[in-house]
Amino acid sequence: MAEARITCTGLSKRYDKLWALRGVDCTFSRGEVVMLVGPNASGKTTLIKCLLALVHPTEGRIHLDGTTIDARGPVPHPGYRERIGYMPQISQFPASLSIRQLLEMMADIRGGAEGGAEDSLVEELGLTAQLDKRLSTLSGGTKQKVSAVLALRMRPDILVMDEPTAGLDPVSAKRVLSRAAAVRDAGGTVLITSHLMEEVESLADRVAYLEDGHLRFLLPVSEILERTGVSRLSQALPRMLEANARPMSYAG
Amino acid sequence: MLKVFKYTLLDLTRNRFVLGYALLMLVIAQGLFMLEDDPFKALLSLVQVVMALVPLIALVFTVVYMYDIQEFTQLLAVQPIARRAILGGQLLAMAAALLLAQAVGLGLPLLVHLPSKASFILSVSGSGLVLVFAALGALIALRQREKARGVGIALVVWLLLVIVYDALLMWGMFAFSDYPIEPFVVPVAGLNPIDLARIMVMLEIDLAAMMGYSGAIYRNFFGSTMGMVAAAAIMLMWVVVPTWSGFRAFRRKDL
Amino acid sequence: MGKVLAILLSWLLLPTMAWAGHHTFHSGQGRTLKDLLETIAPGDTVLVHGEVREGTITIRKPVTLIAADGAMIDGEGEGDVLVVRADDVTIRGFRIRGTRISHMDDLAAISVQECRRITIADNHIEESFFAIHLNGAHDAVIEGNRVAGRPGSEESMANGIHLWKSSRATIRNNHVMHHRDGIYLEFVSDARITDNTVLHCERYGLHFMFSHGNLYAHNHFEDNGAGVAVMYSRDIHMRQNRFLANRGASAYGLLLKDINDGTIENNTFMDNTTGILVDGCNRLRFEDNLFRLNGWALRMYASSMHCDLEGNVFSGNTFDVSTNGSLAYNRMEGNYWDRYTGYDLDRDGHGDVPHRPLGFFTLLVERMPYALVFSRSLFVSLLDRAERLVPSLTPEDLKDDRPLMRPNPTAGHGGAGEHAGDPPENEDNKGPNAVAALFSPFRETSLAHG
Repeated sequence: MAEARITCTGLSKRYDKLWALRGVDCTFSRGEVVMLVGPNASGKTTLIKCLLALVHPTEGRIHLDGTTIDARGPVPHPGYRERIGYMPQISQFPASLSIRQLLEMMADIRGGAEGGAEDSLVEELGLTAQLDKRLSTLSGGTKQKVSAVLALRMRPDILVMDEPTAGLDPVSAKRVLSRAAAVRDAGGTVLITSHLMEEVESLADRVAYLEDGHLRFLLPVSEILERTGVSRLSQALPRMLEANARPMSYAG
Repeated sequence: MLKVFKYTLLDLTRNRFVLGYALLMLVIAQGLFMLEDDPFKALLSLVQVVMALVPLIALVFTVVYMYDIQEFTQLLAVQPIARRAILGGQLLAMAAALLLAQAVGLGLPLLVHLPSKASFILSVSGSGLVLVFAALGALIALRQREKARGVGIALVVWLLLVIVYDALLMWGMFAFSDYPIEPFVVPVAGLNPIDLARIMVMLEIDLAAMMGYSGAIYRNFFGSTMGMVAAAAIMLMWVVVPTWSGFRAFRRKDL
Repeated sequence: MGKVLAILLSWLLLPTMAWAGHHTFHSGQGRTLKDLLETIAPGDTVLVHGEVREGTITIRKPVTLIAADGAMIDGEGEGDVLVVRADDVTIRGFRIRGTRISHMDDLAAISVQECRRITIADNHIEESFFAIHLNGAHDAVIEGNRVAGRPGSEESMANGIHLWKSSRATIRNNHVMHHRDGIYLEFVSDARITDNTVLHCERYGLHFMFSHGNLYAHNHFEDNGAGVAVMYSRDIHMRQNRFLANRGASAYGLLLKDINDGTIENNTFMDNTTGILVDGCNRLRFEDNLFRLNGWALRMYASSMHCDLEGNVFSGNTFDVSTNGSLAYNRMEGNYWDRYTGYDLDRDGHGDVPHRPLGFFTLLVERMPYALVFSRSLFVSLLDRAERLVPSLTPEDLKDDRPLMRPNPTAGHGGAGEHAGDPPENEDNKGPNAVAALFSPFRETSLAHG
């Protein structure tokens, strides 16, 4: 596997009394898709937000392409965010803007108004006809598509997606995920949270399992299958958890 | 910042709340001018409406809108743009949208029915109140994660400034009426932005009374350039301090 | 036949010679006006040209002095300028100046002493101490004069038109400014004072002392120390006057002190710190007056009794009625109050519930003047409203049982717009009010009210 690109060291985050992350150590590399799995409130989203510097870690730090993110926030590195594509689960966009205006706005903000944008995804996801609709009138699935377009169209080098396929029809979901795979193939780092094992199985190079703020393991899919001796990830994960009663992390 | 401002304002110009506000003020102002034979009497009623309603609407609107765009703010914060530029653009856009709505809903009827110095001062004071309470609203939304509690706090702040402050001050006047408190009453009242805005308007519409008795003191103070500067400075403080505090909170905020 | 010829001849020669008691006087041609006045006969007329500088000129026989274009009489500071000591004298059209300022004598541009039927008309009296001073003059007519004193301190000023122990005077269409009192009357009766404009006087625009049975109407008083003061007099009738912009700690539109049996009708009080102050007055009728944009429209001390307020319009005042007592024994009915919030179910034009014009806030400010800072605040209007519903502090009987639902259209100036009470000409009217009016059209529109 390629060299570590993102390194989390002793990463912890506390919200008031609640520890959302507890001493997570891990690395992510170029050219891989890491799927973050785990039950609700296991710390997946917090880990992502720490990477994006939306949330300030309580302890520990992250190194990302020469930028350090710790309790004081990211020590800025020019261009650090320009390479990031983020697809959150978003239910509320600026209500009165149209999709077209939103795309314009984000392109405007990213400074790559024309050059970097790649809009074939708009068509692929069937958004072309809805470009002038107000965002407040869109269904949850359509909002997900818009969110996906915003994350992918600027050709990100680091792609972070939070439940990207939730609410999407199977065809669109497949298209979005294949775009994510394309980012990996181009040498990018892709982090995706998901609940769907088929999805994880089809795309993941490695799987990180979080529970109660601990990283239980971070292993290549093949190794998980090998260790548990089953052929399906959905069967393998429960066995892994039984086998590893105590938290562990493993950088493969 | 300008990009965030531009698109946020674009969003707000079609925001139901903003349009509703413009319409509400327009209906009230136009209605008062049409119901009253005497435009001056309509102005007097408008003064009371502005002093009570404008702070409330500016507060509630800002708080609610800030919560509404919270998710989108998150998405913006991941983009290569400084956090202060995001908040700056959003605050400016909200202030601009409210001011525009007020210009249409209040300024326009005043201009049409009663183009006078008093109307002008009322518009300017009303705009000052919009800025003050938009800043306070933003601060509340930035410091309080929960929307319901944020709105609750906004309502409490409004009640405090619109009525409790005056009630306490008046109680104090009675309680300490044996002491030479006279010099303190006006400055203390003037610390409250709503009172300050009202006093500025009153200096014009109650001019005749202001010229008599101790009114002359207010007149001399607030009517002078010094007084105008002081009043503007207090208003500005009410805008700058919450805004600055909001930026501080936003810089370190977990989104 | 010869007589007819003589008349014809005199008609032909009229422009060049004095005839039948008509004289022409040119100053600077050897002869003095004083000499001429000695020689002419009673009833003669003198047409005066040029500038007369002969110190004090005394007129001792009934003559008519008429100014030719630009004629001026300058007393050069000797004392009075013209002294009239004969009946039936007319002084018309002169520019007059040059009185001495004295704290011992009442020196005037035109001093009239103990005589009857004097006419002083169309003169332009500049920077005099007293301008027109009547002492024991009866049936005098003072009209169309422009009197402008010298702005300064009250000590070096005297009154513009001053009447002492004079009766049946007519004072109309005069324009007075920059004096101590614009028009002053003491022991004067049966005077008619109409269509005058009095501006920028240090003390009062019009001042009555111990003067009974007088009328003043259609006058315009603006920016004086106080508009009009009526003191210790009875049977004064005040109609359709305008009292504007008398602002200051002790400034009133109209001050009534110990007055009995007067009427105050169709007057306009606007932009005064206090519209009317009523102190120790009995049996006054206040009818159809317009009170607008005053600080206190009407302040009545409790010493006043049997006063009647009806058909008055109160609008835009900071306080409508204020008092230091209960105002029992006074009647208030059928006035328009812009603060009235009642209803009129029987549609008779009068509200069905009484209006209490004395609010909680009024009382508060009486007690603590600095509470004025709360004017029009939400808290105060709530308290005021509560107090009006359930009076606890304000006098129970101080109320208008039949408040008008709409302003009485005849209130205020009573349709007298064509009179000289119209706003004064622009010159010398650049006071603070003129500036305020520029910015505040509503002040102008309300001027035209009625």
